[in-house]
Amino acid sequence: MPARLSAFTMIALTTLSTLLLAGCGGSGSDAKYLVIFCQANNAEPYRAAQNERFEELFGERDDVKLVIYDAAKNGTKQVEQIEQAIKQQPDLLIVAPLNNATPNKPMEKAQEAGIKVICLERNTTGKHYDTFIGCDNKAIGRMAGEFIVKALTEKHGEPKGKLIELKGSEIQAMNDRHDGAFEVLQPHIDAGKIEVVHTATANWAKTEARAKMTEAYNATEGDFDVIYAHNDPMAHGAYLVIKGKNEQAAKDAIIVGIDGLAEEGVKWVEAGDLDATFEYPLCVDKAVEIGMKMIEDPDFKPEATYILDSRPITGK
Amino acid sequence: MNKLLQVLAQRRDLTLTLIVLVALFITAVIISPGQRFPKEESLGFMTVTLPKGWPIFLTLENLTDILRTNAIIGVMALGMTLVILTAGIDLSVGSILLLASVVTGLVIRDTNAPWIAAVALGIFAGTVVGALNGALIAKLKVQPFIITLATMIGIRGLAKMFSNNKTVLLPNEEGTQGYAFIEIVASKWVTIGSFVVLAAVFALLLWGTVFGRYVRALGDNAKAADYAGLPTQRMLVAVYTLTGMLAGVAGVLSCALDENADSTQGVAAELDVIAVVVIGGTSLAGGRGSILGSVLGLLIIMILKNILGLNNIGSNEQQVIMAGVIILAVAAQMIQGSSLPAWLRIGPLKN
Amino acid sequence: MPHRFFQAQSTHVTQSPPDTQPGPDPTTQDPLLRASGICKRYGGVVALDHVDVTFFPGEVHALMGENGAGKSTLGKLIAGAVPATAGDIEVEGQLVRIANPTDAQRLGITIIFQELDLFPNLSVAENIAIRNLRFGESGLVRYKRMDEFALKALGRIGLDISPRTLVGDLPVAHQQMVAIARALSMDARLIVFDESTSALTDDAVDRLFEVIGQLRDEGVACVFVTHKMDEVFRLADRVTVLRDGRYVGTKRAAETDMAELVRMMIGHDVDTSKHSPSHATEQPMLRIAGLQTPALKDVSFDVHRGEVVGLAGLVGAGRGEIGRALFGLDPITGGSVELAGRQIGFGSPRQAMRAGVALLPRDRKTEGLMMQMSVRENTSLAVLPRISPAGWIGRGEEASRCDAVGQTTRLKAASPHIAVSSLSGGNQQKTLLGRWLLTDADLFFLDDPTRGVDIGAKEDIYKIIEELAQRGKAIIMVSSELPELIRCCDRIIVMNEGRSVADLKRSETNQEEILTYATAGPVVSA
Repeated sequence: MPARLSAFTMIALTTLSTLLLAGCGGSGSDAKYLVIFCQANNAEPYRAAQNERFEELFGERDDVKLVIYDAAKNGTKQVEQIEQAIKQQPDLLIVAPLNNATPNKPMEKAQEAGIKVICLERNTTGKHYDTFIGCDNKAIGRMAGEFIVKALTEKHGEPKGKLIELKGSEIQAMNDRHDGAFEVLQPHIDAGKIEVVHTATANWAKTEARAKMTEAYNATEGDFDVIYAHNDPMAHGAYLVIKGKNEQAAKDAIIVGIDGLAEEGVKWVEAGDLDATFEYPLCVDKAVEIGMKMIEDPDFKPEATYILDSRPITGK
Repeated sequence: MNKLLQVLAQRRDLTLTLIVLVALFITAVIISPGQRFPKEESLGFMTVTLPKGWPIFLTLENLTDILRTNAIIGVMALGMTLVILTAGIDLSVGSILLLASVVTGLVIRDTNAPWIAAVALGIFAGTVVGALNGALIAKLKVQPFIITLATMIGIRGLAKMFSNNKTVLLPNEEGTQGYAFIEIVASKWVTIGSFVVLAAVFALLLWGTVFGRYVRALGDNAKAADYAGLPTQRMLVAVYTLTGMLAGVAGVLSCALDENADSTQGVAAELDVIAVVVIGGTSLAGGRGSILGSVLGLLIIMILKNILGLNNIGSNEQQVIMAGVIILAVAAQMIQGSSLPAWLRIGPLKN
Repeated sequence: MPHRFFQAQSTHVTQSPPDTQPGPDPTTQDPLLRASGICKRYGGVVALDHVDVTFFPGEVHALMGENGAGKSTLGKLIAGAVPATAGDIEVEGQLVRIANPTDAQRLGITIIFQELDLFPNLSVAENIAIRNLRFGESGLVRYKRMDEFALKALGRIGLDISPRTLVGDLPVAHQQMVAIARALSMDARLIVFDESTSALTDDAVDRLFEVIGQLRDEGVACVFVTHKMDEVFRLADRVTVLRDGRYVGTKRAAETDMAELVRMMIGHDVDTSKHSPSHATEQPMLRIAGLQTPALKDVSFDVHRGEVVGLAGLVGAGRGEIGRALFGLDPITGGSVELAGRQIGFGSPRQAMRAGVALLPRDRKTEGLMMQMSVRENTSLAVLPRISPAGWIGRGEEASRCDAVGQTTRLKAASPHIAVSSLSGGNQQKTLLGRWLLTDADLFFLDDPTRGVDIGAKEDIYKIIEELAQRGKAIIMVSSELPELIRCCDRIIVMNEGRSVADLKRSETNQEEILTYATAGPVVSA
């Protein structure tokens, strides 16, 4: 065991290292406008893509300085970061809430301080923002349901077939994606045409989806027409399993995912692995468009909500 | 027969795990849904036709599927067995898995290096982190829980830095290194084979070598191990290094099976791995346990998951049932010494 | 290196005058506690055998005896820390039942343990008031009242420390005082001090004795468990001597002397006629000169090939610490150690083992054996690399070597594969001895090799030691039983407070002499 560090050394070391780390992030440009984006968790491909798109779009404008905070999936941290952002009096504050209640207080504070606030992608219960820009999982689910009905009709002449559903984890997004699709599917299920032969929860993860799909494949003895997965990695995991079992079955099966990220779902659809994915919009383009108007035009009044439409990406 | 019973009674923890496993297997066969169609199955040397109504659980295809899906957890459980035998713990295996997967994926995607080099680099990355764990634990004498908790957090962050928070997709067009890598490493027999071979190697390591004996001695009584002149510090470094290496192997397998490296890989894997080892009868207090036990533990977990999945049981219900079986399996090992020989009807053991 | 200070100390130790003037004879009052026919058995071992003892208010009563005589057990039994197997206890003439510490406390009896039972992470006040934390109706802890309560108790023993200090941050002596304050706060009428001075510095001992004298004047009965002669004569009004769990006698301190007490402690019925034959040679194996470690102050002696050297002394005198220094477990801070002519100072047991040193540790369960592993695995542990080509254990070689050494030690086990935990103490010890015999070391340090071992196994262990000597090994043996040392050893080194104070030939010494050196007060170097 090394000798105990003295209190002074400890304090000095901690301060020094914190300063060094913080120093890496600092930059001293004198842009006209300051925009702060409080991101919920950088470490998700969807959110990483959001950050990248923000940097790209604001980067085109010399008069805007963009700062991104990462709450790293920690609600308390997000609250602190929003409060820290308020102190810098930004011209625009964009918050991507980690959940729908925790950031209520600090967002209210921001508004009281006269800061313009955009709530991005996930709505909050307090509604302390100038505008909410997001998308509707239920609507996306409906689009997926409609695609499935159409594809089955093409295959069998009528909306008829066996369906396997791979769910995410038990959060609102999963319920919405499920409910939306089944709004469309339910009449056909009630008519005895479409049958749900297997349901499994794979927690949004590809590895787990492979395990669950293997079980589903064996339990159904390969007798199914449609895989509806709540995100693209799960859909692709299912594809890999089916391909491993039977190349032809992988071509025949209708595999549908959601999210449509450029680096994942879009590529898998292009490769013909997935039949369709439905873009879950990054919301960034709209946020930049509306945000710049809010900054530059004091008379501009944004609408309370902008719900962005999803875009189907199909191939095969 | 009597001799076999004697041996079983001496390894009563293993015996009881085995009993739980057999009971579970029989239950699985009984409650498994039956085939709706007759199906041909190739056993290599002959082909059999399994009739309509044959339990789906009990098909070669399903049984090998189970092994293939769980090989990743199984490989990590081998190292975790050694770690827990020394009365330690390694929480960082899931993060090491991700790091190895990302390293392998990046090398294959972004370089022209042969895929085997990517595999080697992935495993090497895991080994380095394992060695770091071991060195910190041995030299600083800090509890393994704390050190590996720190590396669990840090290494996951490092892996995401490497991948820039994005999914690293492997190129899989025919003729590319990625294609060759996936075709070979993700094939059923390579996946299962690497687990079986590694399990055999580690079982022999633990059973037959000085190192294996020392590992058990260290976990049984660390002070006495020191007093008996064992190189305790070097052993700790070695044990964590091996565990890191195996997590690296698991990462390479994950990368091949998923055909990409993504940030959900290895999340909470350490808990599955520890559960497998503990169900296999390895004591968290150290000194008692075996590779065979962990393999049995793995079989118990995966058969259970499989049969619940085949029967399309909801995920919440699955979790509740899983908890029950874990408690049952561990409680079975606690049956006190004298009652088991009596139960097996072989009379009291001579002391 | 001549043993200069031995000669200087060979005169008789003088009695120091008592610290406190004895008050009026307390035995004229009614007794506070009378114990009669007390028996205590641990399994088959008899710790106390029909002991009668009486304590009066306002007396300091020393309980004396050799290691294992039962004095600590008697103290704990009175305070309810261990239940009696048989016997009656009367308090103020009333027959009472003391089954646990709470019973004892209700009767005003408490004990200060050698290993203090304090909570190091709680404050002084919390420790003192631990059984009485509710100062108010609300059920909440009232810190202010608790502090007042603690200060009152601390005041009685004149200890001036903040009640908010964490006990773990206090020096041991102050911790002891806190334990006493806690006892006082419970209105104790009888306090048992269990070897209370063993961890204290001289100054702290003086303080403690002052407090004890004060308590006596207040009418508290102080029962003082000790094996240090000087303390008895400084402090005690009366002395009760136990031997092998039996009551030997009670004396007024003023009417006895050290020689009489030593005779009482040893008894006259010990058979010392049996002697192992000597195999000592003139070739030196180990030469220790002025050795110092954190636990040793000044140790010097030689051991020759074929010689068995005994280390006598009280618990805490530094006998085992010599082994720790030789085996690389404690750093050597001064003096020199030569093994077979080479200066040594090992950094780890591993180095020591390679140089041919073997250490049989004092506590085989925590320092020696792997309890869940088999007898054979335990035996072969230290020589495993030698019988394992390329790291692969040679099981045949392992079996034959372990079986052979098992025969040498007359080990009795149902099978070499059973867990060592299922063996008797004697066979466990033989397993551990076997481990070190296999290493074929040149120097064996055996720390109390017959501790907790039955008679038959003891004889076997004596034979093993003799055989080792016959083969020219050098052996150092620690024992708390003097007859054992006299029987097995060619020479006996007496340790006292970290120093070697006497180097005695077996043929020229006796138990009285050894015990006198061992129990004499702190030695001043000549």
